[in-house]
Amino acid sequence: MTLRHIGKSPAPQKEAVAKVTGRAIYTHDFALPGMLWGAMLRSPHPHARITAIDTKRAAAMPGVRAVLTGAQADVRYLHMSPRYADRYPFARDVVRFVGEEVAAVAADTLEQAQAAAAAIEVRYEQLTPVYDVHESIAPGAPVIHQKEGLPPNVAQHTFASWGDAATAFAQAALAVEGTYSHGVVVPVCMETNAVVAAWDEAQQRIDLWAGTQSPFFVRKEIAHILGLERHQVRVHSIEIGGGFGGKSQAPEPIGIAALLSRAARAPVKIVLSRKEEFISGKTDHAKTMTLATAVDAAGRIVARRNHYLVDNGAFTHMGPAYVSAVRQRTANLYQVGAVEFDGKLVYTNKVSGGSYRGMGAPHIIWALETQIDELAERLGKDPIAYRIEIANQPGDVTPQGFEISTCGLAECLREVERRIGWQEKRQNPRPWRGVGVAAMINPSVGILYTEGNFANVGLELRSDGRFLLATQNADCGTWQNTTLAQFVAQTLDLDVNAIDVLHMDTDDAPDDLGSAASRVTFMAGAAAIDAANQLMTRVRECLQAQRGVAADAVRFVDDGVRIGEAEHLGWAQVAGLTGPLKVNGHHKLTQPYPDPKTGYGNYSATYAFGAQAAEVEVDPETGHVKVLKVVAVQDVGRVINEASLDGQMHGGIVQGIGMALTEDLVFDHGRPVNTSLINYRVPRIFEATEIETAYVETHDPRGPLGAKSSGEVSINPTVAAIANAVAHATGIRFRTLPITPHKMLAALRRKEGRQPDLKPWLRPYNLEVATARSLYPRGLFSAMKKLGETFAPPRPRVTTWDYARADDVAEALQLLRAPGRRVKLMAGGTDVQPGIRQGVYAPDLVVDIARTRGLGGISIGDHVIRVGAAVTLSELTRHEHLRALLPGLCEAADLIATRQIRNVATVAGDLAQEKRCWFFRSGLPCYKNGGMSCPCYAVMGDSRHHAILGAGRCAAPCVADLAPALTALDATVIVQGLEGERRIPMAEFYRWSGETTVSPVEIIVAIEVPRISSVTQAYEKYAQWRGDFPEASAAVRLEWNGDTLRSARISLGGVSPLPMRAVHAEKSLMAQAARTPARTLTDEIIADAARRVVYGALPLRDNAAKVDMAISVAARALRRARDARHA
Amino acid sequence: MNLAPREMELTVNGATCRVQARGCDSLAQVLRGQLQLTGTKIGCNSGECGACTVLLDEQAVCACLVPALRAEGAQVRTVESLASEGGALSRIQQALVAHGAFQCGFCTPGVVMSLSALFSECPAPDEHAIRVALQGNVCRCSGYVRIIEAAKALARGAPA
Repeated sequence: MTLRHIGKSPAPQKEAVAKVTGRAIYTHDFALPGMLWGAMLRSPHPHARITAIDTKRAAAMPGVRAVLTGAQADVRYLHMSPRYADRYPFARDVVRFVGEEVAAVAADTLEQAQAAAAAIEVRYEQLTPVYDVHESIAPGAPVIHQKEGLPPNVAQHTFASWGDAATAFAQAALAVEGTYSHGVVVPVCMETNAVVAAWDEAQQRIDLWAGTQSPFFVRKEIAHILGLERHQVRVHSIEIGGGFGGKSQAPEPIGIAALLSRAARAPVKIVLSRKEEFISGKTDHAKTMTLATAVDAAGRIVARRNHYLVDNGAFTHMGPAYVSAVRQRTANLYQVGAVEFDGKLVYTNKVSGGSYRGMGAPHIIWALETQIDELAERLGKDPIAYRIEIANQPGDVTPQGFEISTCGLAECLREVERRIGWQEKRQNPRPWRGVGVAAMINPSVGILYTEGNFANVGLELRSDGRFLLATQNADCGTWQNTTLAQFVAQTLDLDVNAIDVLHMDTDDAPDDLGSAASRVTFMAGAAAIDAANQLMTRVRECLQAQRGVAADAVRFVDDGVRIGEAEHLGWAQVAGLTGPLKVNGHHKLTQPYPDPKTGYGNYSATYAFGAQAAEVEVDPETGHVKVLKVVAVQDVGRVINEASLDGQMHGGIVQGIGMALTEDLVFDHGRPVNTSLINYRVPRIFEATEIETAYVETHDPRGPLGAKSSGEVSINPTVAAIANAVAHATGIRFRTLPITPHKMLAALRRKEGRQPDLKPWLRPYNLEVATARSLYPRGLFSAMKKLGETFAPPRPRVTTWDYARADDVAEALQLLRAPGRRVKLMAGGTDVQPGIRQGVYAPDLVVDIARTRGLGGISIGDHVIRVGAAVTLSELTRHEHLRALLPGLCEAADLIATRQIRNVATVAGDLAQEKRCWFFRSGLPCYKNGGMSCPCYAVMGDSRHHAILGAGRCAAPCVADLAPALTALDATVIVQGLEGERRIPMAEFYRWSGETTVSPVEIIVAIEVPRISSVTQAYEKYAQWRGDFPEASAAVRLEWNGDTLRSARISLGGVSPLPMRAVHAEKSLMAQAARTPARTLTDEIIADAARRVVYGALPLRDNAAKVDMAISVAARALRRARDARHA
Repeated sequence: MNLAPREMELTVNGATCRVQARGCDSLAQVLRGQLQLTGTKIGCNSGECGACTVLLDEQAVCACLVPALRAEGAQVRTVESLASEGGALSRIQQALVAHGAFQCGFCTPGVVMSLSALFSECPAPDEHAIRVALQGNVCRCSGYVRIIEAAKALARGAPA
């Protein structure tokens, strides 16, 4: 039979129409009658002993139906296996990370549940935390867990050697060694973890609807936690908003909802907030890997050593799988002689690692493939040719026991070479451009898991002639349901649309581990084929019994059954004869499990191989790395659904771009601080790059129709290919990820031996600031931190508030003085509403002034341009006349946030938004949250986004884009109070970042900008994604008299607490322009002036890059403003 | 303090309905909770991901950042309005299906609405304009590749 149901002509995703119409129902959308809401109380401390919990007050609050603490849940989660079980549903006695569940409440409404959870009183005695893996295993470290037979804080230790690595290293012609480390990456499913659990007291059963990749795991886990048999737990089918490992195993909210539901005797729904998802969800695991590779004179790898530490976080979830993933890639991609490895899984007081696409493979491959590139360079070989030389061949058995069946690695490498234009780009590179390559191996389903080596698929011929395929694997959007149906369609020569798919249902679908580890196509695909074959046998038996048709006269073609040559029965007719038929397709891997201690063995029935090449461009001024193109060529065995496969490749590659360049969960004392999609930077559409895919089909005899795995292979080589391309472009090999612009600029500065000229003495206050900062590590910080934590009043939080719309300014002013009320004005609401939800603002009355009369409109007079305070950013950017007159302002507005935000956010709102410091927004008791006795967390913490100029007690920068633009334009802010109007020049508008001189009983009504002829303007900004808050921005206004520069105003954003005028640069510009004969601003004059914008800077530990960024944006803005003169 | 919900009229997808809303209730909450229009998703509740994108007086906005009470008197359009009553998909929806421009689909209604706003404003946007219109819509699955392809096909006027 021809393979007409698989391959290039794609079957569209079965759920497509439901998804584009909004009819698809996800757990977030699901509700049951009488359903309660659950909320958790989480630990505020990284490590502390719980000395008392009092739930009485919470239990008595309105709407509360159940309150649970560790006292009511005394069974540990199974998670990966009982051997590693170390976590209870709620902390008992000790909390081990910020965000750990301490208690939970079920109540009639979410607000009631949240309020009651917050009212649970917990007393803690703080214990010394440990955050770093090296410190955690050092003698005397605080003990987080003590596992039997292992040193403190070690959850797993694996080590082995094969061959004589020590001798091989000693005798090698050449060896490279390096330590590679990276932080925590987060899956960031668009649907946060959610569950509806419904306990049935009469039947002693529980029904679950939940975003999970593995209903099988969930059922096992929930039965275990609730003390039930598995059959008493049912997971139902529902749509899932992304998985990527973040919904593998049984996410904690499911267990908690199940416990709450049983306690409250009612259905309970839990939906994690985006912030909860960051602080308590399952993340990737951070790692440190010290890797060495030795080669002989010909370049053959004679030995490899891999010593690594995997940061487990506070509990063991999928850490052992990471230990294994790193171990299993040590010596399996290329031919390697001797091997030695030593890996430890180490506890720290941080959020527990879970799993994320690739299970650590992208990072170990980055380390390995960096070394292969380094070796090629030192051997004088082309990186691709070298890889082909040393690639594994079909039939090879690796030192770690992998049996390579089919292997298209060399073809993949040759194909990426051709498609990316490798030879030309390597040999004649353009400045700051580079191409890099990386290869990978991926087990097509490692037999890592107990119960992971089999798959089952149910297949039913129904009485109407349609088919129902039932699988416990969960389709998280991967087209899994479609692909599985295609295996059946291909086997029966049946229109795929005649097959309905039920996924997830643990009662109606047979047991199967779940959608993880790239296993569904390979494992369940084989089971689907088996099901179709069984069904054919049953039909043949039936036809023989009922009609006496010989088995070999029956063929399954053309959407039915052909009997002999003449007769064709449609499936409805067949079903009429046979009655409904149901079979259970099965597939099992029979090979032995690898050695648990060393991992030696054949991990997988077969292995997928692939290569990717990336082309990047580096901006040496801002440090920004742009990925121009990725070519991915993959040995997938056989393409089953090319559209689905391409989708996997695109998604994985763009996630890989995030992993390589931007994504990193930032911790401060164990607390993640970038817990939003603004500053945890997942790729957005401008980061999406051109991607070209191609597939090598090796038709693996062990795979279903020859297919191998593909889900994770997409991301695995991406990081390495990008890093190698960066090295080609810059000559710099980074040893930590992600390659942020901050790291890039620091590395370039080191490489070029550049020292920034900052002249810090130009700001005398810097002496005081520098002195205070120098005392921070010597006890000042910890003393102030303790003071702040003890005495700073907690930030008030509100969940409900009144709303009033003001028709005119007078009414708004009256409302502002409402007696006894905490009033907050809201225009667009894009800062106020998230701010209230974050606890930055706590009003009890919000006054909506978005449509208040007198605050809108743009009027252009002969001398003054007036922009109403409530004019939206979109209105600004679309106003043609305004754009002609104030291009600098409109350019700034263009670059703020997103279209949706610009459509409602207002001019005054941008100026008046609260500071964006991630320590402040996280609610840490910092100087601005807690007052005088509290420290600035940026001094000791991650300060990459903070101010370099003019910071004092607080280092939050001004990030309102309009502020420097309006400062450069010499604008005036018009505010109105009951006593009348007040005019505030921009220079006096701010007291500090996010703090204005507008009084609480005044309203900004308009901005006025002088209309001056003969000016040119420009606004330039560097941010890591278009629309993000500026790392550095510069607004320039040049005033001309003919071709003579009359005045220059330069204002900076993102680098200082105030939109700062760059006076040294302005003076230099004027003076030098006056000296040039043609009075023109040459590029040299501009460059010289731009260098002076950072005079007086005093960078913090991590933000020196902003020096270069500020110089760069200032020079760009100046050049554009100059060029506009003659445009 | 008047924290009790207030009855208000909301015009959604051309139909006027009565809902209860408090000052703190967002349009997204009311659409999902009271009108069962769950096509509008909440991915971050902070205006950062665009999953809740709806049209408010024909402008794309994040429904999680629109106070429900502010929407009184405005025209709200959600993803549920796009397919015809007979179930025929709109051009934009057809293009997204034809190009396989989504995987998990959670961000898709927001993408559909952002594209609706874009194409009603400008029938033939270039790629930059497409990216600007969609930059507020985070998609974790697709790498955006086929979303851009679908939008470019629409801009060319190509049949889906």
